[in-house]
Amino acid sequence: MVLCMSRSWSSIDDFEAFLNNGGIVESDDSMPDEYRLAVFRFIELHANSEQMGGLTERDWIPRTPGLRHKMAVIAKTQDEFGHAHLLYMVAADMRIKTRREMVEDLYAGKSRFHNVFHYRAKTWGHQVAIAFLVDAAALASQQAVFKNCSYGPYRRILKRIISEEGFHMRLGEDRMMRIAQGTEMQREMFQQAIDDWWWPALQLFGPDSKPNDMLLRWHIKSERNEVLRDRWVQKFVPMLQSYGFTIPDPGLRFDDDEDRWVAGPIDWAPLKKTFANVGPDSARRISEASAHWEESAWVRQALAANKTVNELVQA
Amino acid sequence: MAIFEVFLKKDGRDEFRHVGALDAANDELALVSARECYVRRAEGDLLWVVRRDNILSPEREFTAPNADKPHRHHSGEAVAARRKALREMTKAQPDE
Repeated sequence: MVLCMSRSWSSIDDFEAFLNNGGIVESDDSMPDEYRLAVFRFIELHANSEQMGGLTERDWIPRTPGLRHKMAVIAKTQDEFGHAHLLYMVAADMRIKTRREMVEDLYAGKSRFHNVFHYRAKTWGHQVAIAFLVDAAALASQQAVFKNCSYGPYRRILKRIISEEGFHMRLGEDRMMRIAQGTEMQREMFQQAIDDWWWPALQLFGPDSKPNDMLLRWHIKSERNEVLRDRWVQKFVPMLQSYGFTIPDPGLRFDDDEDRWVAGPIDWAPLKKTFANVGPDSARRISEASAHWEESAWVRQALAANKTVNELVQA
Repeated sequence: MAIFEVFLKKDGRDEFRHVGALDAANDELALVSARECYVRRAEGDLLWVVRRDNILSPEREFTAPNADKPHRHHSGEAVAARRKALREMTKAQPDE
């Protein structure tokens, strides 16, 4: 493609006026460097998280109970890697890092990925809690970006990602219903999973947005972190309680005057650790991902060798 | 490896629509990759995969110089106003 569709803006004020007017930026535009870098980092973080999420999902293929659910997990694994692929393609077009550089930085522990992938999913109950609570949190964040995202290629690809995440959510809810209607042992397993995953899921939204959050200013995010987090609390507290589970937040209370749930104080130290890739399971996750990358080198070599599908199948 | 752009269409409906891009070593692998990346849930029946280098993409100034050509449109409001004026005129001069 001849890259000559570029638009440029004389100043950051001009650019911001364009964004405030509902303007959509395309990859060929001469966007301000600060915007390019901020959007790139945001998409790279999203892509890395999908990639690490795909690996978690993959680990559970052999251990998922029942053939129907096992097949759904295989489909979900492909979706997660598929999302990572779409996002890496969009990020690479911003011409800051290539796709390979992004993946290699991730597996060298040089990049960030979402906090929830720095913990270990130890039981099937954990997987159910992740599929429902964590995926709901991730989906809410993505929907808030999709709503008003000023970077066109990201917004368009999010549409597809969100529709597939919707499928994952329903799958998660289905699994949760099954475990909640299961034996006493299954219910205990799920309560333990809520205890272990409630706080990481809540922290996924991040601390309250700062007044000068550039992602809000530049119409990447459309809602403040605390607003999204609060909406998630209002939904899941009454739902889990109505199924007879408890929420592991001693400070949680219902405010009668305001007719809403108020969460207790949040300890942000665990989130900060995951930012530095020193969460409870970060080292194992990164080293396993890196080992998968080495082991699958032959696949990349074969696909890059310009062979036909038949030659590849026979090789 | 080359970058390909992917377009999809449902049979008998709408136009081909751009859905995304992929990297592949040759045309055949690009098609397989396009199916696996973009059509996992029957999002389309027809697929176009085009090498990005083969897309002709001129500047905006070339594509869209026609924003100031009112003679290529007609405002429905103007017609409605004339309709109303004509009705009032005929009412004012009833049949004999």
